Amino acid sequence: MDERPISPVLKGVTLVMFLFLLAPLIVVVPISFSGDAYMAFPPTSWSVKWYGAIFHDAQMTAAFTISILLAIVVTVISLLVGLPAAYALVRLKPRGAEALGSLFTAPLLLPTIVLGLAILLVFAPLGLLGTFQGLVAAHLIVTLPYAVRVLSTALATLPIPVEEAAATLGARPLTVFFKVTLPMMRSGLVSTAALCFLVSFDEVVLSLFMTGPRLSTLPVAMYHHVEQQADPMVASLSVLLVVLTLVVVLIVDRTAGLAKTFVK
Amino acid sequence: MIRTAPEETAGLKQGEGFLSLRGLTRRYGDFVAVDDFNLDVPKGELVAFLGPSGCGKTTSLRMIAGLAPSTSGHIVVNGRDITGVPPYQRDMGLVFQSYALFPHMDIAKNVAFGLEMRKVPKAEAAERVREAIAMVRLTGKEHHRPAQLSGGQQQRVALARALVVRPSILLLDEPLSNLDAKLRDEMRNEIRDIQKRLGITAVFVTHDQMEALTICDKVVVMNHGKLEQMGTPHEIYEHPKTAFVAGFVGRINRLAGKASGGVAEVAGLKVAAPGFNGPVEVMVRPHRVSLSTDGVQADGERHALPGTVTRATFAGDILEYEVEAGGTIMKTEAATRGGEAVLAPGTPVTLSWRPQDTYVYAAS
Repeated sequence: MDERPISPVLKGVTLVMFLFLLAPLIVVVPISFSGDAYMAFPPTSWSVKWYGAIFHDAQMTAAFTISILLAIVVTVISLLVGLPAAYALVRLKPRGAEALGSLFTAPLLLPTIVLGLAILLVFAPLGLLGTFQGLVAAHLIVTLPYAVRVLSTALATLPIPVEEAAATLGARPLTVFFKVTLPMMRSGLVSTAALCFLVSFDEVVLSLFMTGPRLSTLPVAMYHHVEQQADPMVASLSVLLVVLTLVVVLIVDRTAGLAKTFVK
Repeated sequence: MIRTAPEETAGLKQGEGFLSLRGLTRRYGDFVAVDDFNLDVPKGELVAFLGPSGCGKTTSLRMIAGLAPSTSGHIVVNGRDITGVPPYQRDMGLVFQSYALFPHMDIAKNVAFGLEMRKVPKAEAAERVREAIAMVRLTGKEHHRPAQLSGGQQQRVALARALVVRPSILLLDEPLSNLDAKLRDEMRNEIRDIQKRLGITAVFVTHDQMEALTICDKVVVMNHGKLEQMGTPHEIYEHPKTAFVAGFVGRINRLAGKASGGVAEVAGLKVAAPGFNGPVEVMVRPHRVSLSTDGVQADGERHALPGTVTRATFAGDILEYEVEAGGTIMKTEAATRGGEAVLAPGTPVTLSWRPQDTYVYAAS
């Protein structure tokens, strides 16, 4: 390793940036262990009772289940739709593939509030509001662009001769895809899945438009909870979510790191 | 024998070749990548497609493998026209420049892939994989991943993977270009040994004339999608049919001249040029040119050209001179014997060579 002296100014700036990024955690983590009935910083007493409270709150656990289920379904559909789309764009290169690629990523450029309103107007007459299917469809609008993008990149960087080698060895196109192409895309598939899962699990704005009194996602339930009560339970929940996100990111890092060792 | 067979372009019957190309052509719009390629490769021969990049040699190989479509023409293997057959039914072994091993499989699985596709029974497949890995001297590496092996080892795995299925034809696409010089020589001989031992018909695409000359039975020199010359390495080197072949295979000196009545006038020399009229290029290889300081005279035995040394390069096993002569710079080279003096620039010398080492081509 090349040890170059780092200027104290740069060190200072980096420290400030990190403090800024981590500031919410510095506040949220202590509050999550608060023994008080109200959110206050710093807490006057310590306890883990608010962690326990999460699991006794029927609304929260129901919303958590919905969010997890939703994220899984959305991730699976994103992969199932995104993979053939990416394959068509990158490999079959239809006329206007680049324009199509841009079109598919367009939803990312729209403010979610605009998307939310548009979805509300379209879904309401279809009776999709407040339904699980409606939520899935709404989330797919934001996860699919990510899926197509990341999977296209993963496909475009694969060495074609490896697939050609498989073909000359007697593998039919579908066999080549499942035995060679797909395994080589492993890290791309894992990152896509993680990304879609987190985007769906985190989504607030679209979900706010789509949820109703009987069906709510975790972020929406938390939002409503904070509106009505100021107890530290939401802080405990937030810490759990940070841990969950960290686990997903670690999985991606492990896989990407592992991939490097044999893809090179 | 390799030969052109223009009269048979329409004929699909088996020619003299185990692998036959009949008028094989590939066009991309107006660009002709491969132009009316005719070839017969007898069973068990190793043939090189030699040429600069973009000459159509790789496109030709890819058409034979079924990985690139042909615009027109036919590919016949062992009497069977396979022109429209997809690659997975062609029964060819292909070795790539980039090795193209399956990164997610270990060495044994890589080699076993083709057998698995052919549904060879497990026990037999295991035995053949073991033999193939032993053949390329990688026994013990069965459970390594490709990335854990060196470039040369990876290319040997690729060779084993291609050969274990006992393909009708082995195709090699610049298989040595990614290896360093020393390894390249080793692998070159190894490929040749294995090819001979198995008696397999093989096509070897390369831009390296050394590779083509040293290990191949026949060399096909290509340029701009066209076949320039086919022949044994000896024929290609000693009797280049075109100026391109003379310049591409081996090193060459070029002198501009003018021919009339069967004689070319080049820098005051008279060189036999039967059948030529107008501007010509006269060529001679550097190591066929002798250099002397005694003022040799031209006679029936040798052509001679006076000149002045402009650069001398001592390269250990050879001594190279650049000599200003005949209005150009002529190169000579000779094996060092030890003890000879290196002539200083400015020394007047006489260059001489035998008439039979002289090539004449119409100037382009």
